[in-house]
Amino acid sequence: MPDAGSPAQSILEALGFVLFSRKGPGGALRFLGKAPEWLDTLWPALTKSGGTLPVADASPFLENFLIDAEECWRRGGAERAKSGPWIEQDASGAEVQLEATAMTADGQSILLLERLGEAFEARKSVLQRARETVIAHQRLNSEIQKKEILLHCVADEMTAALANVITSLRLIEREDNGPRTKLLLGLASRATQEQQTLIHRILGVFEDELRGVYDRSDTTKMGADWNTVLRRALDSAAPLFAEKGVRLDAPAAAASAVQVPADAVHLERVVANLLENALEHTPPSGEVIVRTDEEPEALLLRVEDNGPALAPEVCENLFAKWDSSNAASQASALRLHFCRIVVENCGGEIGCAPLPAGGNRFWIRLTKTGAAA
Amino acid sequence: MIQKKVCMLGTSGVGKTSLVAQFVHSMFSDKYLTTVGVKIDKKSVQVNGTEVTLVIWDLAGDDDFQRLQTSYLRGTSGYLLVADGTRRVTLDQVVELQKRVAETLGATPFVLALNKADLAPQWEVDEARISALADNFTVIKTSAKEGAGVEEAFAHLARRMTPPA
Repeated sequence: MPDAGSPAQSILEALGFVLFSRKGPGGALRFLGKAPEWLDTLWPALTKSGGTLPVADASPFLENFLIDAEECWRRGGAERAKSGPWIEQDASGAEVQLEATAMTADGQSILLLERLGEAFEARKSVLQRARETVIAHQRLNSEIQKKEILLHCVADEMTAALANVITSLRLIEREDNGPRTKLLLGLASRATQEQQTLIHRILGVFEDELRGVYDRSDTTKMGADWNTVLRRALDSAAPLFAEKGVRLDAPAAAASAVQVPADAVHLERVVANLLENALEHTPPSGEVIVRTDEEPEALLLRVEDNGPALAPEVCENLFAKWDSSNAASQASALRLHFCRIVVENCGGEIGCAPLPAGGNRFWIRLTKTGAAA
Repeated sequence: MIQKKVCMLGTSGVGKTSLVAQFVHSMFSDKYLTTVGVKIDKKSVQVNGTEVTLVIWDLAGDDDFQRLQTSYLRGTSGYLLVADGTRRVTLDQVVELQKRVAETLGATPFVLALNKADLAPQWEVDEARISALADNFTVIKTSAKEGAGVEEAFAHLARRMTPPA
């Protein structure tokens, strides 16, 4: 141990370290040497008591750490216990960043107290930037998801309206029109078809951008693994079901590997949306049953809830955007609309029907990869 | 004098430090400043006519960069879980964190503060989710910025920690 006033002691203090010794288990924590100014400002009681630190009053953090320190001193040898950084405030309100290390030296129980200063600020700066990045990424991720759903909804609405215009124009074209009318009809027809192509191109560009952000592989071309999609969606939903006290009865694993021609991320969101929808309508202590039935060329997913049975006419309109008959939130209407877009885009079907014994069955049927559509 | 140790728990950036600053000093800053390690504050409150000093341990956010040190929880009388209503993921994370904390502390009073209530239009946590949580959690919407719900959250926890004599 360095003697008080020795060069070693001065060097330790210059580096921001001060030493305390512990006199036996539960004994007083005595300062070794002369307290530097910052320590005296932080804990004036240290000097007043002649070098003994009244730990309980001075620092609840240190008091807590001394329990770990005692264990370390009891073991002895080369054992070390570190407190991790903490912040104290002196009488003037200035913050002092500290870290304590318990060790045994020359048979004595020693507490090394370090004033962190610049090292603390450097560490804080790195953590600050890292955490800001994580938060920004979370916000961006969430924003992209919302925009993706909205973009699909808007595009779907525009495509449907354009399809009506194109059909009407074709019907008019069949009538006995004059040359000028024929010319104008041709122009109008071509413009609407160009609009339709443009909408699909915009969706394609957005998909590509998303792929760039998340580095997704093009699962649409090779197909998504159904079992993985289902398992991931069930795993994500499980905590929500547990919270509400709703039992989730789902198959542990499907019998065989099945590929479906869809984007895995989109499909996972479809399943997640159906599970969230079922959970929303099922009372606590209720049950949601999830089943996958394999047909020769297709896969059928059923999600059955205990909620109030929906009228057949409500079921028919449930997947339309902003369905006014849907008693649930606007968000849930949008969720179901998104499901329809994704399922129909990959050649599948979606629907719902009330169950005879109460509750509702939501289902999607997806053509297997390689099967004739 | 009765002292009760209270830990602030949650992932980073949810507003734990801001809630403490609002509760103890009636202060708020829009600037996000990450917490490294632990900072302890004290505030006295009245519970059933008795003065109780809350010793509030503001712990660094539990995330991939810094894991919660369970030794800091020793002697905790109650804890305030904090999630950010504008980031749904922070609620999922704090629900998981509560399970880990319960393994260490056992049955200990806690309150869940859903913070950033002043940013309601940006919220990703809907009422259905809050209702689903209500069976297992006491949920209080808070705004460290405007002070709404802050006193209520700490007062509720203080009452839970100090049953009537």
